[in-house]
Amino acid sequence: MTCIRSFAVRALAVGLALASSCARAEGTTIAATVTDMKGKPVADAVVVAIPADGASKPAAKSREATIDQIDLEFVPRVLAISVGTPVTFPNHDRVRHHVYSFSPAKRFELPLYSGMPAQAVVFDQPGVVVLGCNIHDWMISYVYVSESPYYAKTGPDGRATINELPSRAYVVRVWHPELEGPEEGTRRNVDTSRSARADVAWQVDLRPEMKVRRAPAAGRGSRY
Amino acid sequence: MRFRFLFCAVFTATTLVLSHSGNACAEWLQDVDAGIFYDSNLSRAPTPPDERADTALDVSAALGRLFAPTSNDLLAVTAFARADWYQRYTGLDVVALGVRAHWRHKFAVGYDAPWLAVALDGSRDDYRDTLRDSRRLELKAELGRRFTPVLDGAFGVALDRRYDNNGTPVVPDIPGDVFNLRGVSGDVRLGYAITDAWLLGARAAVRRGDVESTAQPSLPIFLASSAIAEDHVFGGDDLYAYRLRGTTWTAALSASLALDDRTSLNFSFAGERTNAAYGLQYSSRVAGLLLAYRP
Repeated sequence: MTCIRSFAVRALAVGLALASSCARAEGTTIAATVTDMKGKPVADAVVVAIPADGASKPAAKSREATIDQIDLEFVPRVLAISVGTPVTFPNHDRVRHHVYSFSPAKRFELPLYSGMPAQAVVFDQPGVVVLGCNIHDWMISYVYVSESPYYAKTGPDGRATINELPSRAYVVRVWHPELEGPEEGTRRNVDTSRSARADVAWQVDLRPEMKVRRAPAAGRGSRY
Repeated sequence: MRFRFLFCAVFTATTLVLSHSGNACAEWLQDVDAGIFYDSNLSRAPTPPDERADTALDVSAALGRLFAPTSNDLLAVTAFARADWYQRYTGLDVVALGVRAHWRHKFAVGYDAPWLAVALDGSRDDYRDTLRDSRRLELKAELGRRFTPVLDGAFGVALDRRYDNNGTPVVPDIPGDVFNLRGVSGDVRLGYAITDAWLLGARAAVRRGDVESTAQPSLPIFLASSAIAEDHVFGGDDLYAYRLRGTTWTAALSASLALDDRTSLNFSFAGERTNAAYGLQYSSRVAGLLLAYRP
């Protein structure tokens, strides 16, 4: 009887341990904080976790993402997606836009249109895609196409959380449109197998964005 | 007559375009500028005793429609009004009403694609001093390119015409229409944004054509003039307005501070020098501070 009780207790303990391990295996978190050299939070930074062994779970069928055009600007300014994600470009302005990209990761044009374009654009290569409008030169947006399905974008507080990570070692990097130097320079090794939550902080050097100015300038005619 | 026809044609086209508000592909253009400027030699006099300097308040507004008929073409049609009020020489106070048509063609897709622009401006200028009342027409073609997001440049040529028939002849066989002027000019300009907010500009221009100068009578200016009229705007009875043929060189610098995406504060300085026949020369410096708003 004692033997049976002892076995049951051990079995329960092993079961609980296994359950806990399984839960952590798919439920670890990387909490990232990105600040600039003055300690100010950096918004719109993309934090990407790449499994150190190179084996990443294939991304589930990507949901469609959207970049709006509102008040002659792209919204959002930075969009992070997985490879293969279709992106739509609805135009909510009363004027037409001509969206284009010449970035190697995705070259495309959506010639002059209003409303919703007929087809979404599928971003099938990893990399950074810079978008522009041929009518309104100051309009600019960035699509970060991630090979890894584990990524997040910082909010105004400079924080981003990548949830539901399998428990293992990762290489974590940060990208931002104004990042001084290559993304590879932000590389950190993070192992989530030891703890369910890993806090990582970056202090990054930013340079002013090279962007066409929207504000008018007297004596230069139309702002276009 | 030609001007009247052209002005009426452009005005009618502008009215039609502006009233056609149902076009969802067109964008409203609204500009409001207000500022002050100082001119060191308003009279464009060749000698210091005749030079008159003054400061003026300048306000202008424009309303128009912008069309994008193709991905590479923009057409803006605008009606504008401008008023200047001078501190001392109030005869120069002016209200101008006009229309402007501006077409720009980009030769490719991208912010850095080279472009060609053609602009036609017509206005009716009503001065407090009737001698200067006139109608103006300017046709300008410009070729430009944005080399990087922060550096752009353009080269332009322009024909300008000012029609006036108000001056009374004071010398037999020499007409009095001193503000009946025509000229051809070329300019090159560069813009460089040193930060998100600050945009610096430089412009150099040369113009060959008729110029007006108000000065006391002298033999060289009399011999060089193709029109002479009495000019009472600057006070005294010994000043006359002359129309001369000359070459004007202009160098200008500007700095524009963006207050937000729609508003900017603009500082400008221009130096101008005109060389005319018989060794006549005059120069002026114009400095301005202007608030520009594009809702």
